[in-house]
Amino acid sequence: MIRLSDIRYRYPRTGWVLKGIDLSVDDGEYLLIGGGNGSGKSTLGYICNGLIPHHFGGMLQGSVTVAGLNTLKQNVSDLFVYVGLVLQNADAQLFNSTVEDEIAFGLESLGVPGPEIGERIREISVTLGLEDLLSRSPVTLSGGEKRLVAVASVLVLNPSVLLLDEPYGDLDWAASEKVRQTLLKINQNGKTVIVTEQRLGNLLEDATGCLILDEGKVLYQGIAQHVHEALSRAHLLPNYSKRHNKPVGKATLLSARDLSYRIGEKEILTGVSFDLRKGESVALIGRNGSGKTTLLKHFNGLLKPSAGKVTFLGEDIRGKSPSEMAAHVGLSFQNPNDQFFKYRVKDEVLVGPRKLGKLPGEWTKEMWDVFDLHGLLNRSPYRLSEGEKKRVSLASILAMRPQLLILDEPTSGQDGRFREALAILLAALDNLDFTLLIATHDLEFAHAIADRWIVLHDGRVVGDGSPDALWGDKRLVQLGALPSPEAGN
Amino acid sequence: MTRLDPRTRLALGLMAIAAVFVAREPETLVVESIILLAALPLLRLGKEWAHSFRYFWPMLGLVFVIAFFSFNLQVALLLAIRLFNLLTASFVFFRTVGPEEMGATLNKLGVPYSFAFILTTAMRYVPLIRQKIRNIIDAQSSRGIDLRPRLKNIGNFLALLMPLLAQSFVLSDELALAMESRGFGRKDRSSRRQYDLTFWECALMVGALLLLVLFAFWERR
Repeated sequence: MIRLSDIRYRYPRTGWVLKGIDLSVDDGEYLLIGGGNGSGKSTLGYICNGLIPHHFGGMLQGSVTVAGLNTLKQNVSDLFVYVGLVLQNADAQLFNSTVEDEIAFGLESLGVPGPEIGERIREISVTLGLEDLLSRSPVTLSGGEKRLVAVASVLVLNPSVLLLDEPYGDLDWAASEKVRQTLLKINQNGKTVIVTEQRLGNLLEDATGCLILDEGKVLYQGIAQHVHEALSRAHLLPNYSKRHNKPVGKATLLSARDLSYRIGEKEILTGVSFDLRKGESVALIGRNGSGKTTLLKHFNGLLKPSAGKVTFLGEDIRGKSPSEMAAHVGLSFQNPNDQFFKYRVKDEVLVGPRKLGKLPGEWTKEMWDVFDLHGLLNRSPYRLSEGEKKRVSLASILAMRPQLLILDEPTSGQDGRFREALAILLAALDNLDFTLLIATHDLEFAHAIADRWIVLHDGRVVGDGSPDALWGDKRLVQLGALPSPEAGN
Repeated sequence: MTRLDPRTRLALGLMAIAAVFVAREPETLVVESIILLAALPLLRLGKEWAHSFRYFWPMLGLVFVIAFFSFNLQVALLLAIRLFNLLTASFVFFRTVGPEEMGATLNKLGVPYSFAFILTTAMRYVPLIRQKIRNIIDAQSSRGIDLRPRLKNIGNFLALLMPLLAQSFVLSDELALAMESRGFGRKDRSSRRQYDLTFWECALMVGALLLLVLFAFWERR
């Protein structure tokens, strides 16, 4: 179906991104393409549907044939019938104002007559269980629903190959499982499926073949079951070191008392209470939509509780603005791109301390070391790799030296190497006596970095204790607050 | 209403808005208000209308107060009611013609597909951009950059603008990829919406137009 031979590619004004790739995908295969950030996974996908070279330009060497056609001689708008590509960014992928229009778009491009389009929308929505979403706007969908709609919008064209670029990106375990089962079903119905992904986990059970890329070269190619060793060696599966539980003092740093939050009539948080002690490392665990981010925003004054209160060092923080709280509570959000606005990394990191009138001193120097930023200080934050961006954004929060550091989904979209490095970094901060609160649905990571888990489900705290006691707790699994321990993460 | 051809809806909507401009007497405007308000429950838009109008009441109040002190009660009432009618008519119009329908209609009326498409896509991304702005404000204020709308914070707004622009460029790049991967720009597109103007719809439009013209003459007699 797809034949790539000795592919070398570079984008305009970059070095070689792919350095000699041979790949052959047959009808009915399920191929997993793994690799870290910047390994060339997405690029390989763009080559398969002709976006490279037709859309991106750059220099492509070697030969690419799809369904017997030479992609160099075809337009993307002809190739999309053979290779249906689902992009990583669901917000870009879904550009129509209703789900129904989204699914119809490709068919309309092909000039399929109106009544038949209606028929095919019905069929695909039954197959993927989207009947109730058809009139909704993509903006209102959950991450998992968006992904399924994106799959439907491509699958409805009946392409020979369905190619998905990191479809599990920021999905939690439940949504991931739903997408995984859907893809498995599609493959079992005879469709060729290619998935690029950083976290292979239990996807390996589904795949018939596996290709691991590292810096544009093939690291492993063969059957999926034997890939673990290669991944582990390249640190693409993180090797977390064991935590040494450290004794924590009794002093309470932050406490939430009976905290509730409503938007209109909808209750987002209900009666949340817990204390964080000085020097603790705590993970806030919960599925997407469980209220984690909303809860975190109460701890630095971004949101005011509808009922209950938050105290920091015994003082009620109601009425304090986030910029006043910034010196005490550092909150770092998921997307580092939300904050970059300086030309140099150094200025970007020091924005906070300068606002607070804290001049760069010993701590700044120490921080360059801890975050390994010496080589990046004079570069533009926009031109960094994803992992580097994340490091800079964490440093910019920590630069103000808050006592409490809160991270929201720090591992989302990051590869194994970054996750391993972040765990080491957090352990170092732990040793420097920072108090850490990390919201995540990445349980292995949460296990590696925290001594205590607080489990949030539907806006309520349903578990609070040691990770070993909670992971596998039957009550929490039944509730849907945690995955069953056998399921991979 | 949604069963009518969007072209009919477009025409009726524009004529309703024109009727608001044509009216000169406060009494006529009040009658228009009553008709518009009566249409809301019929189209099941009452609740949504009340919700959207939360933001318009202060504006209407302001217009009334300013006009009252600058001119007199008569002018103030006239302006406030006219604005009220205009907003309500536009609300009904935009709620009954969806972005894709608007695009398809414009396309049928001879506007090139890519232009009509830009319009509908822009509407689709308004909520997303609003969400992005929210996220950026949260991220920046969490590190001490005050972005509340105060005069002293003006200098800080670069911290909102730069990330927003950078991310919008990335989004538009990826959007281009997504569109191309689904055959945007191919010739011979079809549309799943099949619109046929019935005789009755044409009659309805002509009737409405005649009424509008008569109304205009009557108001100017």
